[in-house]
Amino acid sequence: MAPSASKTSTVKKKAAVYITGESPLVEEYAELGSSHGYTVVVQWNEDRKRDTVYRRSAIVPAGTSLALELTNTDLERKKKNLQKLDRALPPTAAIISSSVTVSASEQATWINHRHRLSGCSVLPSFSAGSVIEVAPTVYTPVETMEVVRRFFASLGKTCEFVEDRVGMVLPRVVCQIINEACFALQEGVSTPAELDTAMTLGVNYPHGPIEWAEAIGLRQVEAVLVALQKDLGEDRYRVAPLLRQMAMTGEWWNKKPQEGS
Amino acid sequence: MIKHVGVVGAGTMGAGIALAAARSGLDVILYDVNDTVLRQALERIKTDLKQGVAKGKVPADEVSSIVTRIHPRTNLSDFHACELVVEAIIEDLRVKKDLFKHLETHTKTSTVLATNTSSLSVTAITSVLRKPERGIGLHFFNPAHIMKLVEIVRTRATSESTVAFARSFLHDIGKQPVLVRDTPGFIVNRVARPFYGEALRLLGEQVATHEQIDRILKQGAGFAMGPFELMDLIGIDVNFAVTQSMYDQFFGEPRYRPHPIQKQMVDAGRLGKKTGAGFYTYNDNTK
Repeated sequence: MAPSASKTSTVKKKAAVYITGESPLVEEYAELGSSHGYTVVVQWNEDRKRDTVYRRSAIVPAGTSLALELTNTDLERKKKNLQKLDRALPPTAAIISSSVTVSASEQATWINHRHRLSGCSVLPSFSAGSVIEVAPTVYTPVETMEVVRRFFASLGKTCEFVEDRVGMVLPRVVCQIINEACFALQEGVSTPAELDTAMTLGVNYPHGPIEWAEAIGLRQVEAVLVALQKDLGEDRYRVAPLLRQMAMTGEWWNKKPQEGS
Repeated sequence: MIKHVGVVGAGTMGAGIALAAARSGLDVILYDVNDTVLRQALERIKTDLKQGVAKGKVPADEVSSIVTRIHPRTNLSDFHACELVVEAIIEDLRVKKDLFKHLETHTKTSTVLATNTSSLSVTAITSVLRKPERGIGLHFFNPAHIMKLVEIVRTRATSESTVAFARSFLHDIGKQPVLVRDTPGFIVNRVARPFYGEALRLLGEQVATHEQIDRILKQGAGFAMGPFELMDLIGIDVNFAVTQSMYDQFFGEPRYRPHPIQKQMVDAGRLGKKTGAGFYTYNDNTK
């Protein structure tokens, strides 16, 4: 089907922004948006109970002028979220969707109003960065990207327009560093604490790879690597089995067996 | 506390290690094959100390005593009183193995023999020792008198007492050790590979420009320098050689595969800051 040629409209200050997706990304961006003057409404989600400055609602409120879709791990849910947003929002409202584990162009094929969607790079713990990667899809007109640029500028972020590729720049580099550290750990090269010390003191990294993995979330890191391996079809991105195991169980390594169990 | 330390090789790393030890009150025998190299090393050490004084890191009245604690020598037998000897010569396995054989004959049997190699196998270097349990890796980072981190590299033969001795020496000279099993790249050179490798692939696939990738990783992720700035600083040839060495030592593991862009830059003579151009171009007056 032919994508709609209509335009997206600029988001005004105090405008309503609706956020869907997974924790803790939705909370990070809800707080960021609220603190920059937006009226933020977050998709209702049974696993979060206490809300602060923003409201939660299962329904996209009337008058919403922009939506963020921040799911990286569960792509079926991401698809449902995007389709719901596409139905509920007026065609002039833009959707900025995380395109770290699935390209924004592929996401655009899931919805009717393809012109309104732009990709962006979001991973937990990076929402304070002053630069954000955004990726137009093959359908995105410059008008939509201008809406995206202005929105992120109003949050204090400069946009870097990059090609729409799985993994984008920051997630691909950071997650591969973490993966390498997990391979080293699995091979008994050193301990988690010493790996972190080595990278922060030896090459001045902002965080040690293990500490970073915990801050981002192991499921998120795993999802990025799995997506890269699938998209590029290369062994280079295979997930360290130790990382996968920790992502699945939520348990850290080297735990002594529980006494009496 | 250890009192006498030997350093073989008066290049950048050797001089830095000698300075780090002398500053902490140790006597250092600094060995090299000729007086000219040793004189140059002492000049560099004095310059580094002058900078240390200017930055308030070194008390001015300590400078002369630090310098007198460094004894330049051209004879390996001068290591006889040393409890530890650290080798910091050229990264050539045959030359290092040969040296370690000689070191064993010129030192007490209790002396710990350490290599500062960054890219060779500590196991291979220390395998020539009749007592390989006293062999160990001590990987200092450049500049060695400033950088706190040292990777202690243990082989299968390294004894517990050798490791404990290395730890206490590093503690005495104010360094932060991490203990690493002898594997290619140890921790830092290995875990840092994707920072360059993925950045080069992103550039090669034209996902973003090198300037964009540097900005995203600095201002988005908090790295102090972007990968392309850092490759220019290290030297693209040096970085390429380390990558190639890791790839070979892991028998073609795809995570360490070098990128054609690296070779092309080397072929073009664009090695980074030192040649005035790498991924970025530099003015002559910035060198």
